[in-house]
Amino acid sequence: MIDVEENRLIPCPICNAVNIDRGNKNICRRCGSAIYQHKNFITEKSWAYLITAIIAYIPANLYPMLITNKFGTHQSSTILGGVVHLWENGSYPIAMVIFFASIVVPLLKFFILFYLLISVKYPFGKDKKVDKHKLYYITEVIGPWSMIDVFVVAILTALIHLSNISIVAGTAATAFAISVFFTLLSAHAFDETLIRENIKDSK
Amino acid sequence: MNKLVIIIAMKIKNEDDLDNYIICHKCFTLHKIIPIKDGYMASCNECGAMLYRYDTKLVDKSLALSISGLIFFILANFFPIVKIEILGHDQFITISKTIFTLIDSGFYIVGILCMFLIFIFPLMILIIDIILFTLLKLRRSKKFTKTLLVLLAHILPWSMPDIFLISILVALVKLIGYVQIDMGMAFYALIIFVLIDIYIVKKVKISELWILRENMILKRSKN
Ligand SMILES: [Zn+2]
Ligand SMILES: [Zn+2]
Repeated sequence: MIDVEENRLIPCPICNAVNIDRGNKNICRRCGSAIYQHKNFITEKSWAYLITAIIAYIPANLYPMLITNKFGTHQSSTILGGVVHLWENGSYPIAMVIFFASIVVPLLKFFILFYLLISVKYPFGKDKKVDKHKLYYITEVIGPWSMIDVFVVAILTALIHLSNISIVAGTAATAFAISVFFTLLSAHAFDETLIRENIKDSK
Repeated sequence: MNKLVIIIAMKIKNEDDLDNYIICHKCFTLHKIIPIKDGYMASCNECGAMLYRYDTKLVDKSLALSISGLIFFILANFFPIVKIEILGHDQFITISKTIFTLIDSGFYIVGILCMFLIFIFPLMILIIDIILFTLLKLRRSKKFTKTLLVLLAHILPWSMPDIFLISILVALVKLIGYVQIDMGMAFYALIIFVLIDIYIVKKVKISELWILRENMILKRSKN
């Protein structure tokens, strides 16, 4: 017989099997994945990805996302410029979709990950009232939707490339794709078991 | 809502007994697995997320769906998704053309990223699913099914055909009024593929597949 406390049971991030937390390094008894290596190392990796993502998000908003060449005239628009242009033309639903996917989702993900990463190390006073698992779950669900604008640019570029009229991707497309990629990496590198660890510590 | 946090010291015979427990993937509450009727599912009493279900036909259903998914995925790749007429010229796109235009115009990073998100990963998931469900059906290969399940868990978050489909619609709405748009056959194939993908990727949980593997392969080898 083994005695085990309920709060020492952790799920494997890969296969969900219930495992006993043995401290620094756990190997899942079912699939053999590493569940939980050194605590500091895990958050540092997630921090590094998050900071890279935030840095890449700056040029993604400053440089043009889309360049339209029409009979010799060039017109370039940034992400926000594109949203404003769509709104002014009366395409409200599309303007809102792009605004949500390219601006709200990335910023929300930055804030949630930033908050989670800080709060697992330094729990604030009212911390327990915030459902951190729910916050993390939100980032997982909405995260991939920020790729919409990159895909849209890819589709328009492939579709319209005549000598008189062509649409070309701008530098921001690369910066934005890198930003999304690193945000996703950061979210996956974040160890959800740390949230649990923290609740235990604060008691 | 006030929740009493009680730390229970449970007694278990050995670590394998932990297989009788499940931790909710959404809210991390620990639950004991109780037997349920065929066709029913158990959900978390804290957050309502599905924990597991008992469905004897799940393997057959998922195998049939992954094979049809592969057929529609191939169709979606071989035919034009959208055709437009602009200044008297006909233009069309396919999935591969979308990716290679990016690479040709020097956008290597975006192009390669898109290639993985909308082509390589969705295809890999279909192939893994077909092999996995076939092996589960044949009740074979304890080791290989484990490798496949681990690989699957790593790829799943990186497959985005559903988001690509929405992006096509967004791109087309932007073009309405400027060009004449015709949907190609691949567009409809892509819709069916995405619906199948949503079922086998989002509805069937990884933890369920591990339970299936246990029931279909491991328990049999003990007998
Ligand atoms: Zn595992
Ligand atoms: Zn739950």
